[in-house]
Amino acid sequence: MSDVTLGKPARFRAATEESPATRWALIAVAFAGLAVLVFAPLVAVFVEALADGVAASLSSLASPDARDAIRLTLTIAAISVPLNAIFGIAAAWFITKFDFRGKAFLITLIDLPFSVSPVVAGLCIVLMFGTNSLVGGWLVANGYPIVFAMPGIILATMFVTFPFVARELIPVMIEQGRAEEEAAQTLGASGWRTFWTVTLPNIRWALLYGVLLCNARAMGEFGAVAVVSGKIRGETATMPTTIEMLYQEYLSVAAFSLAAVLALLALLTLLLKTALELRHADQLAATHRH
Amino acid sequence: MPGLGLSMGITLTMLSLVVLLPIGALLLKGANFGLAGIWDTVNRERVWSALFLSFRLSLFAALFNLVFGVLLAWVLVRYRFPGRRILDAAVDLPFALPTAVAGISLTALYAPNGAFGQLAAEIGWKIAYTQWGIFIALVFVGLPFVTRTVQPVVEEIEREVEEASATLGASRLHTIRHVILPMLTPAALTGFALSLARAVGEYGSVIFIAGNIPLVTEIAPLLIIIQLEEFNYDAAAAIGIAMLFISFAMLLVINLIQVWSRRRIGYV
Amino acid sequence: MHIEIDEISKSFGTTAALHPVSLAIPSGALVALLGPSGSGKTTLLRILGGLEFPTSGRVLFDGQDATGLSVQDRRAGFVFQSYALFRHMTVFDNIAYGLNARPRASRPTRAEIARRVTRLLDLIQLPDIGARYPSQLSGGQRQRVALARALAIEPRMLLLDEPFGALDAKVRKELRQGLRDIHDTTGLTTVFVTHDQEEAMELADLVVVMSMGRIEQIGKPQDIRARPSTPFVREFITA
Repeated sequence: MSDVTLGKPARFRAATEESPATRWALIAVAFAGLAVLVFAPLVAVFVEALADGVAASLSSLASPDARDAIRLTLTIAAISVPLNAIFGIAAAWFITKFDFRGKAFLITLIDLPFSVSPVVAGLCIVLMFGTNSLVGGWLVANGYPIVFAMPGIILATMFVTFPFVARELIPVMIEQGRAEEEAAQTLGASGWRTFWTVTLPNIRWALLYGVLLCNARAMGEFGAVAVVSGKIRGETATMPTTIEMLYQEYLSVAAFSLAAVLALLALLTLLLKTALELRHADQLAATHRH
Repeated sequence: MPGLGLSMGITLTMLSLVVLLPIGALLLKGANFGLAGIWDTVNRERVWSALFLSFRLSLFAALFNLVFGVLLAWVLVRYRFPGRRILDAAVDLPFALPTAVAGISLTALYAPNGAFGQLAAEIGWKIAYTQWGIFIALVFVGLPFVTRTVQPVVEEIEREVEEASATLGASRLHTIRHVILPMLTPAALTGFALSLARAVGEYGSVIFIAGNIPLVTEIAPLLIIIQLEEFNYDAAAAIGIAMLFISFAMLLVINLIQVWSRRRIGYV
Repeated sequence: MHIEIDEISKSFGTTAALHPVSLAIPSGALVALLGPSGSGKTTLLRILGGLEFPTSGRVLFDGQDATGLSVQDRRAGFVFQSYALFRHMTVFDNIAYGLNARPRASRPTRAEIARRVTRLLDLIQLPDIGARYPSQLSGGQRQRVALARALAIEPRMLLLDEPFGALDAKVRKELRQGLRDIHDTTGLTTVFVTHDQEEAMELADLVVVMSMGRIEQIGKPQDIRARPSTPFVREFITA
């Protein structure tokens, strides 16, 4: 003897859900918090950059300081990122294709730069390669200055971005195992051939992901570079240190315009990152699967 | 498997050259200086002030991020609403945005003539160039850590466990407090420690908004830079070692959390 | 407690998990919902427990309409297929959970709770494991703890979802007898879901054979075996 179909009573709620009021309150807090903490600063960069109009902003980017800074930052990234990528691939290969004791310790060492303050990183490099150190003194005397010169900045950038590629590749390569490489071996492929034709295609998205993050950090690094570079205009002033310099000279529009370029880079990085996570989640480290 | 020599060679060489030797140089400097020397340098009011300031404000920022981060993780995983994907991507912005950009931008916002600074001024609250400014900058840089470590755990909570709690008569609030939150605790603590570690060493985001007045708003990394600019390499090294020590202590704490959690409840 | 299922149906979107089914469960009976996967048996069990809301129909407990009753208020002890023990709590705290979750006014004293938990640990024949964590228990032990936890709240009925599914044959036999014993001791109306017809036939007073969201036959095990009423039942129940 059934009634007319009952709808859910207005109060039915699954055992695993909060009340709608609670839910919307939490969502509102999340939005409000992120709006104030994240969106507002992002918007502020562009508002300040365009404070005197688009033309002023663009022309500040054409100034010699800005152009030199952009060129230097791009050069540094073009050198440090591939080097760290090579390290990442080598380290991941070493750790995941072979068995030896101390792997966890090695991984901890690789992760060290993440725990070190960028300023301390710069300090370390200055102490090691500065003019008053053994190594540094000799290098400077022979015309290879490290500190206050490009090599120092590259080293500092490499230090702070060191783990990025490795820690993206290692979990993925662990998950993928060795079977395919071993199969290629039995079929007579050389080590290099195996790597290029078997391993690389499998890790390319994880590699891209790691390179993306590495690059974003490399171009944006400030603290370590500030210590190591001497911030010499036109020679060792990267984009971030030039932003600092312009800001301190009260050239607000110029500073924020340059900052806006980096902010756009950050947004592009996030976009590509999200795209990779959505399209190739199965080939990325587990923590990136949404 | 081929490639042992090459991969091991590249790995160990680069690791040593780029990371281990520089850190070694710092520790060597410290060893030359001696523990007593380090203590002397660090044991000055200005240095203690800076170290305490960095640590204290980082702690508060990390606590804020702990609460907000867990809330964010829950909302992003369990609820469906328009704009969820954008919110999720926004959480990563502090990771991607260069610290100097964040630094000048936050200063522009919270300076007395900035959008938020003006609002605050109306109630007599000064944010930029005070410890509040530093706090907000540290919250910004540490924001993603808790959320990103907690999110996977929330995703893996078995619904049946929540249902079981309800069948046993527990209210939703009781379930959240006694079943769900404890399951999130190890990940939340790890995220908290990561956020804290990041904040303690932060320079670029803080340096513009801080005001940098010794003993009041001067952070430890800035002190290192000042010592370097005055060619006090020993002093800089001493403070650097103190900060390195804090970093390693945090690393240890994180690892202990993971070990404890794995043993106690079988997962992290 | 007498349970009546009155023309209950459940659809998820356009898929009908349950076509309108009706069923009367006498008080104190041990009932098996038997069928292959997709038969709707688990859905029906969850509706009884309040974990799902039916698209149409009513559920009556002792003649009272309980369809809109919340999960918390139903006092239906539920044992999940995965046991769903709280991993961060000891066995003792797991079993005591329901009692501790009561509002202060109706909560027993700590001593009383301890007493009840101890008694339940004896009932499931695991008196010494109170301080252990679920990760330290075997599958069979976890199942019994889940049972004790459900019984701790003094439920009006006991609902079990594939209670023996994940266990090996020997353990299954022991636990089957254990369930029978507990049922006979407590006298609770008990409904369990299974795809194992031997299990259903051996344990239950009343077997409800289901397929594709419909009830094929209801009856005592020997009656179903002797007189299967549909081709499906004939196929499904081997001698």
